[in-house]
Formats: sequence, structure tokens, C-alpha cells
Amino acid sequence: MKKLSSGLLALMVLFSLCVAAVTNVYAQEVGASSVEFPYTGNRTAVWIVAQLHILFAAFILGAPIFVVISEWLGYRKQDPRYDRLAREITKVTVILFSMTAVTGGFFVFVLLAAYPQFTTSFINQFYVVFAIIYPALFIAETILMYAYLYTWDVWKGEKKGRHIALGVVLNLVCLLILFVINGPTSFMNTPPKAEGVSPQDFIAAASLWDKIANQSWFPLSLHRIDGNVAFGGFIAGMIAAYMYMAAKTQEERAYYDWMGFAAIWIAVGGSLLQPFTGLLLAYEMCDYDFSFCPYMMADQLSMFFEMQGVMIGLLFLGINYYSWLSVKRIEGAENVRMTILAPIVLVVLLPATMWVMNKYWIPDPMSLAFLLPLALSPFLFGRFIPMTVSARTVIKIGFIVMLASDAVWLTPAGFVATGTDMPDELKLPEGWDFLSSMPAKLSAILTLVFVTVVNYVLYNRTIKQGTILWGKIDFVSQFVLIFLAFTSTWIMGLMGAVRSLLKKYFHAYSLVSDLSAESFTPTLSYSAGWITAITVFFIAIVSLAVLVALRPSVSRAREPEGSAVPVAAK
Amino acid sequence: MGNIFKKLGVGLAVGGVLVGIARSQSVPADFQVLFLVIALIGAIIFMLLDAQPIGAMSGGKSLVSVVVFWVLLITVYVVGPSLLPQFNPEDEKAKIGKLLEKERKNSAQGKADELIARVKALDAQVKALEDRLKGVGGGQVAATPPAGEKPPAAASASAGDFMKVGEEQWQLQECYNCHKLRGEGGKKRGPELDNIGALLTVDEIQEKIGNPKSFMAEGYEKEWQKGIMPNKFKDLMDPKEMQALAAWLGTFKNASVNTPKPIKKN
Repeated sequence: MKKLSSGLLALMVLFSLCVAAVTNVYAQEVGASSVEFPYTGNRTAVWIVAQLHILFAAFILGAPIFVVISEWLGYRKQDPRYDRLAREITKVTVILFSMTAVTGGFFVFVLLAAYPQFTTSFINQFYVVFAIIYPALFIAETILMYAYLYTWDVWKGEKKGRHIALGVVLNLVCLLILFVINGPTSFMNTPPKAEGVSPQDFIAAASLWDKIANQSWFPLSLHRIDGNVAFGGFIAGMIAAYMYMAAKTQEERAYYDWMGFAAIWIAVGGSLLQPFTGLLLAYEMCDYDFSFCPYMMADQLSMFFEMQGVMIGLLFLGINYYSWLSVKRIEGAENVRMTILAPIVLVVLLPATMWVMNKYWIPDPMSLAFLLPLALSPFLFGRFIPMTVSARTVIKIGFIVMLASDAVWLTPAGFVATGTDMPDELKLPEGWDFLSSMPAKLSAILTLVFVTVVNYVLYNRTIKQGTILWGKIDFVSQFVLIFLAFTSTWIMGLMGAVRSLLKKYFHAYSLVSDLSAESFTPTLSYSAGWITAITVFFIAIVSLAVLVALRPSVSRAREPEGSAVPVAAK
Repeated sequence: MGNIFKKLGVGLAVGGVLVGIARSQSVPADFQVLFLVIALIGAIIFMLLDAQPIGAMSGGKSLVSVVVFWVLLITVYVVGPSLLPQFNPEDEKAKIGKLLEKERKNSAQGKADELIARVKALDAQVKALEDRLKGVGGGQVAATPPAGEKPPAAASASAGDFMKVGEEQWQLQECYNCHKLRGEGGKKRGPELDNIGALLTVDEIQEKIGNPKSFMAEGYEKEWQKGIMPNKFKDLMDPKEMQALAAWLGTFKNASVNTPKPIKKN
């Protein structure tokens, strides 16, 4: 009830902000440029609503992907837990679906109030998208989403395939929406251009497709697809944690322990791809305009990236700590062993990758010729080497390697706000400066991903050789699940701010200047405050949705059949 | 408890060794702190790995724990980023103010502001005239030079201003992010420019700025380096500003600096 009232209060504050601003808009003279949002200012007001909208949208676009995978797994394995997981997440998704629409509406209001001239011209650029394609797809998604939820009980048994097919169609529409709306979004960062023609002239002659298929459109869409899957998984993990904590019976605890485990598996799958699609996006943006690169890595946003390193380091540590806690509750885990090549490669990988990357920079195939055999050697040659070490030792070595990788990732050229203004006494001395180079950062990311893959291979092997005691996991793991959801939401907020700030003093880069007094790079401290506030608001609304959709009385009333779940299962 | 002290001891020892090595190599203090913090995080992680499991909590206790955990997360995520060095937006505001000056003036709001400013100036002039009329003293009227007559220093001052515009464009367009000049800026992304005036004429420098692919510096001819200089400056600067930047760069003729030779491409 406390959460409900705080959520409503926050919504009311947000609504009153919008009403105040919109009222001011109508009070203005014709031709006046904009209104001033109280307390936040215009840019931050747009940022808050846009980020909230993106978070809800990311969840409702990402969740159906793993919902339908989960339903399909349940059908294939004849395991009712997957079906229950899929259904529970769908219930929460439907509630958050309406929040997506509400925040989307707010977003348009706030944007129109804050930047009426730019918004009007921007809508004109994409009027077919905003007036026809997007609403049509959104309506189709709404119909499909509700049809998917309400046909769950009708299309079961022999008709289950039909229901899964409906889920697949829903996902296709979700993906289409993502690709369509990423067109205008990415356009603001990288509007299409051509040599010898002014940006304004080129855009005036460009077709809608030219504007949508700009240079960062596809990489942004890819990055958002795997990001949404990972995000959906982390949020589902948090939902499982809440339900585990509130569970009254051992049977319920066993189910929600399993749900957390399944959600994190899916989230990890998405997370492992994130660094690579993120790099692809950064590469395309720097290729579009190289000045983005120093702005991000060495200049005004350098400490934002320092913070990103901290957060992703913590995220990977959290993921692997959860898998450690999961292994701890498996009976027989202590007997699981792995080839000695695994810890050797773990230790060698970071320095080896740094050396190779410095010598043969990607996309030089020589870098792959060195690194692929090294990374795959435990899996390819391990069976031929009789020496083994325990799974727990390998995981602990993995943690040390992760800490070393984090240290490399977090070492900047200097702890200063901008690289252009760096006194020598704050710089890394010669001989140490390789730690701040891009090859070092890339090596650190690759090593973090590799350690996580090894841990999950080990985890899988332990599951097969031991017995999982569902519902018996260390209670701390539930806080890890909440931590992962909070952190991944925060990272999305941070990187969303970075992507938007990359436009510098433009609304649409090089095309439409932001003439307001707010067109400058805010401090990391200011940004972090708002990112945290947005994260808290989002997590609070999700918690409220869980309370409404999955509280025990609702679950019991709607699911009297309650499938039996074994406490111990292989 | 023994677990905690043991891991803390190891963490402090590892951190101490890292700090010792860093200090002996004159690595700045901030980095030493970073290494120590990571060693201590490592100690905390190993404490957690070997900690005794916690049993399930009751609903109420769980709720309180979650709220406390949230408060902890919020505090860390707000305070943590504030501890890192903060970029001062005032530095950028001044630059952006200059870059957008013309556009702001031409915008509807800008024109309105200008009109208001003019009205205020006229108002002030009227008041000044009124005061002078009240005084009726001819000697009090300041001598103003006849129209069209320029002060003698104006020609050299305008040349100086032109160079100032060029230097200002260097700062505003942030050329220093890629090019080193006078020992400042640059990260080897682009060539050092201290001797560019001896290698290219002012017109050629201007051509390079407007069309980055027109010249390629020796040693910067790899495929990925060809498009590295953004082809946007002719849209961001007006011809006079670009000319001023080229003229200012043309004054750099320091042969002791190895500015690579630009080769004409198209």
C-alpha cells in the first residue's frame, strides 16, 4: 500500500509538471519558442519522461521474447514451470504496457511544450512513421498482447502450438516497432549526409527510407534487441526475488528460486552480446563523425564512461556471484572438476589479449588467429589433459581475473574531467599508459565475457552432475537479483544519456541547433542524480505491477490447479 | 569473523603492494587509490564467497531488508559518481554561446531580444540627451570623430582581430582534440601542426579544412584514417571564419616540429 501511494504520488507530480507546462504553452504569444518547466528545466523534463518511456518500452519489447521462449521450452520439455513463468511475466508486461503508453503520451506533451518548433519539424520529417506506421503497429501489438494473454487457457494441450505461434507473431510486431521507432531516434544522432551537399539540402531531398536507414539505425536496433532481452531477464529476476521473499510455502519458494535462475540465464545470454553490439554502435557513430569519439572517451563524457566501466564491472561481478551462490546449493558440486587448461587460460587471457590487440588491431584477422584457439583450448583440448581442478577453484580464479579486468577497464589516461585539460602530474606515466588504451579496454571486456562463459559452462556441468535443491539457495542471492535489476536499469539510463548528449548542441546533429540555454554537457554528478531518480521510479512502478498482478491471493484465485514442483530436481 | 579479518588482511596486503609499485613508478595518487579500492573490493567479494549462507527471512523482515538495500543502492549510485572529477559546464557554455550566437540572433526569440535591447539602448540615449540639454554646456558634449574616419590603428587592429577569430575557431571547433599545436592537445589522431604554415599555403589549408580528403598527411594514409577528419567544418563555420582559421594556422612555421608532409589527393 505504501508503494502504491508513493507510485501514485510520483505520477501525480509528473502529471502536474506536464499540466503546468502545457498551460504555460497556451498562455504564450504565438511564435514564442518554449516554456520553462519548473525546477527541472526543459531538457531534464524531456529526459526524465523519455528515459522512463524507454525503460517501460524496453521491458515490454524484451519480455515477450523470453516469454515465448519460456513457453516453448515448457511445451517441449513438458515442464509446467516454464509455462507459469511465461504467464506471470506476461501479466506484469500487460500492466507495464499501459505504463509505456502513458509515458509515451507524456513524452509527446513534454516535448511539444519544451521544444515546440523542433518537435513540429521533426514530426514533419517522419509524419508517415508517427501518424500511420507507429500507431498501427502499436495498436496491432496491443491486440496481440491481450489476445496472447487471454487465449492462454483456451489454447492449451494440443492447441498450445497455436498459442506459441501467436507469441511469435507478437514478437515480430514488437521487433518491427523497435526498428521503426529507432529510425527517428538514430536520425537525431546520425542524420544521413553526403559529401559536397549541405546537411539541410540533403535532408530536404532525402526519402523517408534514407532518413530511417541512417548510419547508426541498424547497430542501435541490434544493441537494443539484446539489451532488451537482458533487461527483461534482469527485471524478471527481480520479480522472482520479490515473490521468493514473499513465498509462504517451500513449494512456492522452490518455484521462484527456479524462476530467478531461469531469468538470469536469459539475461546473461543478452548481456554477453551487449559489449559487442555496443562497440559496433560506437564504431559506426565514430565512423559517421570522428569527433564523437574523443567527446565520449577523452573529453566531456570521459567520466561517464569511467562510470559505465564501474557499473558493468559490478554487473558482471553480480552475475557471477549469483552463479556461485547457485552452485553452492547444488549437492555434489564439490565433486565437479574441470581441465587445468581452464584456469591457465583464464589467467593468461587478459595479458595475451592486450598484447595481441596492440599488435593486430581488429579487424585484422591475425588477432582472431591468436585469440580464438587460446579461448577455445580448454573446450577443445581439455579432454586430452588428465590434470583437473575443482569447479570452485576455477570460479574463484575467475573472480580474481574479473577484478584485474575491472582494474584495467577503469584505468583512464588521467583522472580529469576532460582529456584536453590534463596536467602532466595527473597523467599515467609512460610505460603505464598502455592500460588506458582502447586495446586494453577491449581486452578487459573480452576477458569479462570469457570468465562469465566459463562460469556458466561450469554451472551447467554442475547442474548435470549434481542435484539442485530448489528453494534452498542462500537468501543473499535474492538481493543480488534486485541489485542486478537496479544496476542494469541504471546503466540503461546512463548510456541513454550518453547517446543523447552525443548530439552536443544540436537537436539533430549538424542539422538543427538547440538554441536554448540548456544546450551543454551536464556534470556526471547531476546526471547520476536524475538517472537514480528515474531508476527508482521505474523499479517502484514495476514493484507495484508485481504486487497487483502476482500477489498470492490473485495467483491462488486464478490458478487453482497449481502445478506441483519437486523440491529437489536434477 | 576470522574469515573477514583474513580476507581484509589479504586485500590490504595486495592493495599495499599495488600502491607501493605504483608509487615507485611515479603513478599519480588517484590511480593508487583506484588500485587500493579494487583490492579492497576483491577482499569483500572473497568474504562474500566464503560467507555462511543466510536462511529465508519472513515477509516483514524481507520487506524491511529490501527497503534498506534500496536506500543503500540509491546512496551509492548518487554519491559514487559525484566522487569522480566533474566537467565544468560553464567552460562549454561560453563556447556554445559563441558558436550559436549568429543562429540565436537570427531566431525569432533572438530578434525579439535584439529589439528589446535596441529599445533599451535608445531609451538610455534619450535620457542622456535630456541630461545634456538640461546642462546646456557645449564643452560637455564629447567630441566624436567624423563619420567614415577610422582611427589610425584600425588596420593593424583588424588584422589582429582576424587572427584572433582564427585562434578562436581552433578552440570552438575543438581541433585540439586531434591535432597537437604549441605542445598542447592531440592524441596522435591527427598530425601535429606546428610547421603546417611551411608546408601548405593558406588557401590549401582552407581547402583541407573544407574538404578533408583533399590532402592526406604522410603516415596517415591507412584506409580507416582517411575519413577520420569530419567533413562538416564548412557547414559549421562561415567562409570568413574558415579563412581566419587557415590564416592563423598558416603562421605556424616551426621547423623543429615534425609536421608530416601533406600530399594532394583530389
